[in-house]
Amino acid sequence: MKKGQRTGIIVSNIYLMILSLMAIFPLLWLLVSAFKSSSEILNHPTKILPIHWTLENFHTVLSTLKFTVNIRNSLIIAAATTVIAIIISSLGAYGIVRFFPKLGNAMTKVLVTTYMFPSIMLVIPYAMVMSTLHLTNTRIGLVLVYLSFSVPYAVWMLVGFFKTVPIGIEEAARIDGANKIQVFGQVVLPLVAPGIVSTAIYVFINAWNEYLYSMILMSSSDKTTISVAVKTLEGADILNWGSLMAACAIVVVPSILFFCFIQNKMAGGLSDGAVK
Amino acid sequence: MLPCLLVVLCLLIYPLASTVMYSFTNKTLIRPSFKTVGLDNYIKILTDPEFIRAFVTTIGWTFCSLLGQIVIGFTGALALNKIQNPITKPFYRICMIIPWAFPSVAIALTWKWMLNGIQGYIPTVLMNLGLTEGMLQFLSDPKLVMPTLVFINIWFGAPMIMVNVYAALQTVPQDQYEAAVIDGATAWQSFLHITVPHIKVVVGLLVVLRTIWVFNNFDIIYMTTAGGPAGLSTTMPIYIYNLGWTSKLVGRASAASILLLIFLILVCLIYFYVIARWEKEEK
Repeated sequence: MKKGQRTGIIVSNIYLMILSLMAIFPLLWLLVSAFKSSSEILNHPTKILPIHWTLENFHTVLSTLKFTVNIRNSLIIAAATTVIAIIISSLGAYGIVRFFPKLGNAMTKVLVTTYMFPSIMLVIPYAMVMSTLHLTNTRIGLVLVYLSFSVPYAVWMLVGFFKTVPIGIEEAARIDGANKIQVFGQVVLPLVAPGIVSTAIYVFINAWNEYLYSMILMSSSDKTTISVAVKTLEGADILNWGSLMAACAIVVVPSILFFCFIQNKMAGGLSDGAVK
Repeated sequence: MLPCLLVVLCLLIYPLASTVMYSFTNKTLIRPSFKTVGLDNYIKILTDPEFIRAFVTTIGWTFCSLLGQIVIGFTGALALNKIQNPITKPFYRICMIIPWAFPSVAIALTWKWMLNGIQGYIPTVLMNLGLTEGMLQFLSDPKLVMPTLVFINIWFGAPMIMVNVYAALQTVPQDQYEAAVIDGATAWQSFLHITVPHIKVVVGLLVVLRTIWVFNNFDIIYMTTAGGPAGLSTTMPIYIYNLGWTSKLVGRASAASILLLIFLILVCLIYFYVIARWEKEEK
């Protein structure tokens, strides 16, 4: 190995070390704060690890503040969004790839355009429509709204995965007497299953993390989702930063675990030509 | 295919159409009746000094955040590309995913807690080290608020750029580098003439997507400063939110959001024009 190359690697390592430290520090700080007692939070602001580890904050958030209700709401809404979005988008994406490739290209462009719509712009008509349909403050209403941005994205991701299925396999199945639906269900779907799982996780996380629509459409605290609930905790009197960080930890941890799980697929999307 | 089109139509085209329609009316959240007022909303907005200020703030916020994200993301990706170690490499990658996976509410509250002017970790450490006199008020000092928000946004967005640019770097054929070394090219030359042309298009698309995202971002700023202090961190989405939900002027908020959309479309057209030219060059 040449000398120049070695220094390059050392410099890269130092640089990445600094970046990684900065990237993970807020997470570490959030987690350790969640296990500190309120007096420790006030009196030892720079001590990193808690002197006495305590679950008091989690207890406050989950039982005193009834956070479990919001967790359940978020789970139901995110799961419903994911299931519906995946069914609609996988059929849509398969159709685009297999039957209407020309139209598909045009449609992916439309999908990118929808990404351009400011969510703050869409929230106005959604609020109007939902109140006319009497769906404000219901889970169905929020699921419908979440579908509007998860379906385009899911289709976009899935088109990339469906493109990797060689048409030869499908033709062979057709010759063996399978109809179109059988080909889709028994040949194509199993092949793109990993892609569908990643897309589903992505849709789920987005719904789980969403804030704006939930804040505007869900007005009562027992109906709202977890991110809005966490934000409203900030204004509560009995609360300290420790409990707030415990609440944040409950939102962050699932999201990070899921993300780590699908990270390779996510990065692939753009460069595999899913966008082109 | 059809249900998919239906979802897009019902849930995206219809809202867009109704926003355009509302933007010409004096609709409010309180009164059910409304009438057409022509271009009145647009004129009121374009002559509103608050709008101009929000627009300038948004441009600054988008430009600085993107510049920071791209510089750090790009250099980070190049550095990661040099690392072959089977232990440290995955470690760096996992670290880089963490900010990306942060829900916006957690980004806002965690940073608020770390930057908090009473017991926050960062101001306290800076003071204890003797770098600042007294506790810095990162989120309420008029001079510090925008740089702080931009920093938070770079923290959040740079890892995403990095992971994607890194993925794009893997598509560059290695033999071209070997050939370049044989021809006596310097590292900088092979970067400029091999790496850049190969990943230009992907990075360009990434920049388009990030521009849209940062421009439209409501959550991070709303939850950290809510547009304050004194409207200094009010970007367009927050301006629109205040019009629509605080002042309840739905018609005017619609008009402002249409203006925002038109501006974004113009920016994206320029980007797409550039990217299309790059794609042609490639062929």
